[in-house]
Amino acid sequence: MRRAAVSLLLGVLVAGWAAPAPAAAQPVFPHLRLIAPAAPGGGWDQTARVIQQVLLSSKLARTVSVENIPGAAGTIGLARFVSAEQGNGDTLMASGLIMLGAIATYRSALTLGDVTPIARITGEYEILVVPTASPFQTLDDFLVAFKADPESISWGGGSAGGTDQILAGLVADAVGIDPGRVNYIAFSGGGESMSAILGGQVSVGINGLAEFAPQIESGIVRVLAISSGERLPGLEAPTLREQGVDVELENWRSLVAPPGVRAADRARLEALVGAMVRSPEWKEVLARYRWNDRYLAGPAFVRFVDDEEARVQAILHQLGTTRGEAVTLTNAGPYPLFVLAGLALTAAAAALSAWRRSRRAVATAGGPGWRAVGLIAAGIAIDVLLVERAGFVIASSVLFWLTARAFDAGHPLRDAFFAVGVSFGAYGLFARLLELPLPQGVLAGWL
Amino acid sequence: MSETLEALRQGFALALTLPNLGWAFVGVTLGTAVGVLPGIGPALTVALLLPVTFTLDPTSAFIMFGGIYYGAMYGGSTTSILINAPGETASIITAIDGHMMARQGRGAAALTTAAIGSFVAGTLATLALTFTAPALASFALHFGPAEYFALTILAFTAVAVLLGSSVMRGLLSLFMGLALGLIGIDQLTGDARFSFGIPQLLDGIDVMVLVIGLFAVGETLYQAWRHGRDELHAITLHDFTGMSREEWRRSWKPWLRGAAIGFPLGVLPCGGSVIPTFVSYMTERRLSDHPEQFGHGAIEGVAGPEAANNAAAAGVLVPLLTLGVPSSATAAVLLTAFQQYGLQPGPLLFEARPDLVWTLIASLYIGNVMLLVLNLPLAGVWARVMLVPRPLLFGGILVLASVGAYSLNRSMLDLVLLYSVGAVGCAMRVWDVPLVPAVLGLILGPLSEQQFRRAVAIAGGDLTVFVTRPITVTLLAVAAFVLAGPWLLRRWTMVR
Repeated sequence: MRRAAVSLLLGVLVAGWAAPAPAAAQPVFPHLRLIAPAAPGGGWDQTARVIQQVLLSSKLARTVSVENIPGAAGTIGLARFVSAEQGNGDTLMASGLIMLGAIATYRSALTLGDVTPIARITGEYEILVVPTASPFQTLDDFLVAFKADPESISWGGGSAGGTDQILAGLVADAVGIDPGRVNYIAFSGGGESMSAILGGQVSVGINGLAEFAPQIESGIVRVLAISSGERLPGLEAPTLREQGVDVELENWRSLVAPPGVRAADRARLEALVGAMVRSPEWKEVLARYRWNDRYLAGPAFVRFVDDEEARVQAILHQLGTTRGEAVTLTNAGPYPLFVLAGLALTAAAAALSAWRRSRRAVATAGGPGWRAVGLIAAGIAIDVLLVERAGFVIASSVLFWLTARAFDAGHPLRDAFFAVGVSFGAYGLFARLLELPLPQGVLAGWL
Repeated sequence: MSETLEALRQGFALALTLPNLGWAFVGVTLGTAVGVLPGIGPALTVALLLPVTFTLDPTSAFIMFGGIYYGAMYGGSTTSILINAPGETASIITAIDGHMMARQGRGAAALTTAAIGSFVAGTLATLALTFTAPALASFALHFGPAEYFALTILAFTAVAVLLGSSVMRGLLSLFMGLALGLIGIDQLTGDARFSFGIPQLLDGIDVMVLVIGLFAVGETLYQAWRHGRDELHAITLHDFTGMSREEWRRSWKPWLRGAAIGFPLGVLPCGGSVIPTFVSYMTERRLSDHPEQFGHGAIEGVAGPEAANNAAAAGVLVPLLTLGVPSSATAAVLLTAFQQYGLQPGPLLFEARPDLVWTLIASLYIGNVMLLVLNLPLAGVWARVMLVPRPLLFGGILVLASVGAYSLNRSMLDLVLLYSVGAVGCAMRVWDVPLVPAVLGLILGPLSEQQFRRAVAIAGGDLTVFVTRPITVTLLAVAAFVLAGPWLLRRWTMVR
């Protein structure tokens, strides 16, 4: 592990040496923390890491860290943001339309009303797309088939309750079919749904325009419609509206601050985001990732979020994803019941055979190591209790020491020395070098 | 063919400079170092290290990527072998025989076969990527939910060779994993399933929490349980230099087979590089002359899956580069990174920016060589970890396990789950219940269920979809043969 730490340090030193010197004159934001409520590779992770890079290269901030809090399409991150970041004036979280959908679908107790709005920054249009070999030449062809037998048409897209499904619902609603009859196939990752669409596994695909731009350009897919209000320059794709489907939708992304930030901090964050969207580096990024510039701040942004929330809730309710049923034993499908029955049967059989064996077996010499297991169990209990109160370093030192005591009779002092050393080392490695925060606890001032 | 070679030569010409080789080395070192840490998988490793490359020109940055990517894919196996704590899901299988080898003092050999296997398979797969990418990518598009379901069933058959000494206890382990896999949002409907109103459970139980808990924490508790019962036999390291002639002889075929299994399965966007390792392990055990050694330190059980893992890493790049489809989290991170340098993966990539693509592909070859350069000498050094006094080793394992699990989602619940799973893992060892079927169940169960339901939903509720599509039928037939084949063969030879 020490070797790993040394080589990592080496790498960071090399990187630091290669980095350009910070600008002298401009007032820079000292340290910004960006929360991506998604796993690495997810949409908000991409947004956050791109913002990180723009803020650094435009020298608007001295240091920017990105922290991932993945889970349930952003609602876990939202909950964590509200509870743990209360009043932190140096923290922003990525959010957007998908989070509104997730809040409704997973019946999140917290909404975007529980955080401090800063600004909407980008938007991406959605497209209805088919592979070139598809029988559907136009949106009309497709809608005729859909209206004739709604359930026979499969719509492929991203996760349940997300932008793609919202669009499917809006389109169905606009052409007079009950959105509840949309046979929507939710794929878990962007890549998975893209390959299902390209391979013609579903009747029609819904996706963000940007991800499909290379495929459109090369002509292996056909865009039936785009969810923008007007046609886009340089893209031969008719809008939904001009083909008689009165729907417009944009997958927007925004930045929010924690609840309870001071007015001065809020103004500072707003100024930072405002300066960022004006920077040439940002314009370049918008072009590169095919994002629309949708900067909107202040009260107008708050009103916008309220309107979108109402629209999303209404359509998801019709789609039936907001039933948010908690599945338990009583309403589980055949597969969960099969698994649970299998578990019960094998457990019973294994217990029976173990009991038979234990009656036959001669007691093994020497009792089990209760003392050793007890010491470790105590270490684990202390770790769980202390880690967020006293901090990671103290809790881990205790855990290490008690574990070492369990195996060792001879060297309590040596073990204590290593316990503190390893805990500090792990803290430095994760929290400092890799910027994966660990609880600081009572040592907050020293770490 | 000759055009490809010429383009590749130009890519090498751009990539092969002394500073670039330095960047490749830095990339491999960083990738391996961060990938080694438990709980930090390849996707996070690459995401964390991306900012380091921001200041470089595209060519050097790609060189470093190649290193980081392969280094991150390889790093996980080190902890797997040495301390029985897989760094990421793709090295779970490695832990079974790899750690047994380390316990027998053959840690250096296990690490060496992993490193050379990774290199051989990585290089072969990169060659395959160079010459067959477009054709393979369009073939992969024939895979729909029905085919993926069949593929998960094929991977499930690996359970047959992982069951351990008793079928009943093996199945118990499998069902434990499947049951854990039920927890979380139903991907198709968005309903919360068995999450007991706890929001952190909405995304299910993280595979890494289960793996680190069962393996690292469980092992520590079990050793404590046995402490004082059996006399401690100190581990003697057989050698620090790597593999014996015998081990070379037993390794090279698994490397090649691992590459052949890993690359095509990596191309398919299903379960990342985990499924190839399962399939490879199963294949090696089925083909082995001494299947009884598997689970007790068979070198084939390390060589095959490690090769498959790295070949899959190259396979993932096929749909990414040729179709612009990111088929794993790591690929999605790479996609963002490529765009950073004006490289837009997609069908037109090879025509639009041949210079960048071929430099990237050349970088992959270089990264692979650097992986070997770095890790061969290190194998002997790492193997000495086994000489650390047990009290300190186990103390360190618990601290690393807790920090790894906590930083996955920064959630106390994960920490509590980690220790609970550890207690279960200890009990499973005491009662001789195998661990890997549980992990397999947690990974494959949800995948399998989702693909099954998607296939049925697309077909409008028609179950014949699984017997009318040729690829699906073939895969299911192979799965059936793998399960019943040995038994049928025995019957047949008995009758004769």
